[in-house]
Amino acid sequence: MIDFVQNTVDGMMFGSSYALLAIGFTIIFGVMRRINLSFGATIMLGAYIGTWLHVHHQVSVWIVALTTLASTVLVGIYVERLCFHAIRRSAVLASMVSSFVIWMQLEEAAIHLLPERTYAFPALFAAVSFELGPFLFRAEQTSMLVLAMIMVGALHVLLYRTRFGLALRAVSENPLAAAYMGINAAWVTLCAFALVSLMGGVAGYAILSTDAQITPFFGLWATFKGLIAMMLGGMGSLPGAILGGLLLGVVEAHALWYLGNEYKDLSAYLLLFGMLVLRPGGLMGQRILSREALAFRRV
Amino acid sequence: MDDYVVTVLSNIGMISFIALSAYLLLLTGEISFGQQAYFGLSAYAAGAATAMYQMPIWAGIVVGACAAGLVAMVVGALTLQLSGLYFSIATLAFAEMARLILLIVEIQVDVDGEMVGPEGANGFHGIRWMFERDISLTEFMLLIYGLLALTLICLLLVERSRLGSILRMLGSDDLLAEMQGLNTVRYRILAVGMAGVIAGVGGALYAHFTTYVEPQFFNVMLGVHALAYGLIGGLGTAFGPLIGVAIDIGFLEAIRFIQGYRMIVFGGLVAILLIFMPRGILDEERVHRLKAVFSRRNHARA
Repeated sequence: MIDFVQNTVDGMMFGSSYALLAIGFTIIFGVMRRINLSFGATIMLGAYIGTWLHVHHQVSVWIVALTTLASTVLVGIYVERLCFHAIRRSAVLASMVSSFVIWMQLEEAAIHLLPERTYAFPALFAAVSFELGPFLFRAEQTSMLVLAMIMVGALHVLLYRTRFGLALRAVSENPLAAAYMGINAAWVTLCAFALVSLMGGVAGYAILSTDAQITPFFGLWATFKGLIAMMLGGMGSLPGAILGGLLLGVVEAHALWYLGNEYKDLSAYLLLFGMLVLRPGGLMGQRILSREALAFRRV
Repeated sequence: MDDYVVTVLSNIGMISFIALSAYLLLLTGEISFGQQAYFGLSAYAAGAATAMYQMPIWAGIVVGACAAGLVAMVVGALTLQLSGLYFSIATLAFAEMARLILLIVEIQVDVDGEMVGPEGANGFHGIRWMFERDISLTEFMLLIYGLLALTLICLLLVERSRLGSILRMLGSDDLLAEMQGLNTVRYRILAVGMAGVIAGVGGALYAHFTTYVEPQFFNVMLGVHALAYGLIGGLGTAFGPLIGVAIDIGFLEAIRFIQGYRMIVFGGLVAILLIFMPRGILDEERVHRLKAVFSRRNHARA
């Protein structure tokens, strides 16, 4: 029983990092109705630039953190200009494939920057663990959960209490109508991308400093964990992204404990496939499917 | 031809199958990230048929393709109500599940005092049909291109037929297709199954060409590449994906001298191409115009 609870707690801690990644996906999907496959690689290149400064110029940890955030935003803007802004809105597939080839490009750029397999990644705070009764809490993972909640809270305020948030929601609802209201959709989209990249940078920094290392596999890992967590929670839903991330983390933790390492990822994909077959909208998504939505639009 | 050229050409041929398979689904408007699963499942099934049970190669290819087609139809039936991104992610989840299961599966049988069969993460060794019968790489390449030509002819015939129009109709508006009295469920499962069979033929050939398969080869990257080929080459005709494969593998081989910067150059070029041609080089419009040019020439001659 104690094992079960401890696993659940560990899973939730891991899950909060998945949740942080899923938030990025869900906002981009909400605004653009398109998917950015290079999100993970964007964060990875940003973090690599920060780590490069750390390795070659021994700058302080704060500068590493700021560089990581700033370069993630810049790379994010590059992706937006090339794969989303330049390709017309109806060509959903072209955007996706374009963001995929750019993923490969960013990954190779990162490997050129730091060619070895792993590098140590500096943390802002020293990690402290604390025990509560029979359970062990790792401080950096607890702070990740707190960070995820703060970010969702801030995002909620931004989306529902500011003019920018209103514009963003208008564009995601109906870009043409938003344009008639005098909203510059291209500008709003660019800002949304920069915002999401910033959040991705924060998430990436938190995750990498928990792992204390960075490898070229981070891009793939971040993209898939974020994507799965978003789909589990329901596309375009913020609370869904958090719930999906936590669910994914808990299921993985239990599979790892009770079944073994090779079943960890298998259980995650099985969960996702089962969710899509039985409840395609995810935990918090709309029950209505795009097919029905299409029918309603015609009526 | 030296072995290197033959190997590159054979790879282009075998990868073309998975590109054609992804293309067939793109016609029906569905983006699959999971065609590599059928490629991989068939490679295992066909390898098992010839190496473990001593079947002839044609039987191996049939077994592999049928297994892939059946699994694809089951997955298609399960994901019937999904479309768009939901379908893509469901196929991705399935393909990764299949790959991770192949990493665990260990079934080995005794063949002439040697254990042969899938060995989990170590892969499936000893699919030695080619060596046992002393077949050269060039001969096998001819087999690959023979089957590829056959597949292509079938696809081109399908595209000209009523079935082809129905599939494209499903792609542009499945609700409207249903209004026309079409059984969209049946056609969709048929399309998914056909795509599975095509990927399966490629996988079966792959297993016998390399004599060794491992689950790691059938990862998401293969699937996304297959999808990208159709989009680079063009969605207007079945030749499109082949052009995509030739551009990717041929181009990457040609720019070997800038080793290490290949993806930076290639990724940038494809991204720019997609800006100007969002449905690929040979898109529907260009194919239509080319056809018009050719038919006018024929009229002039007649």
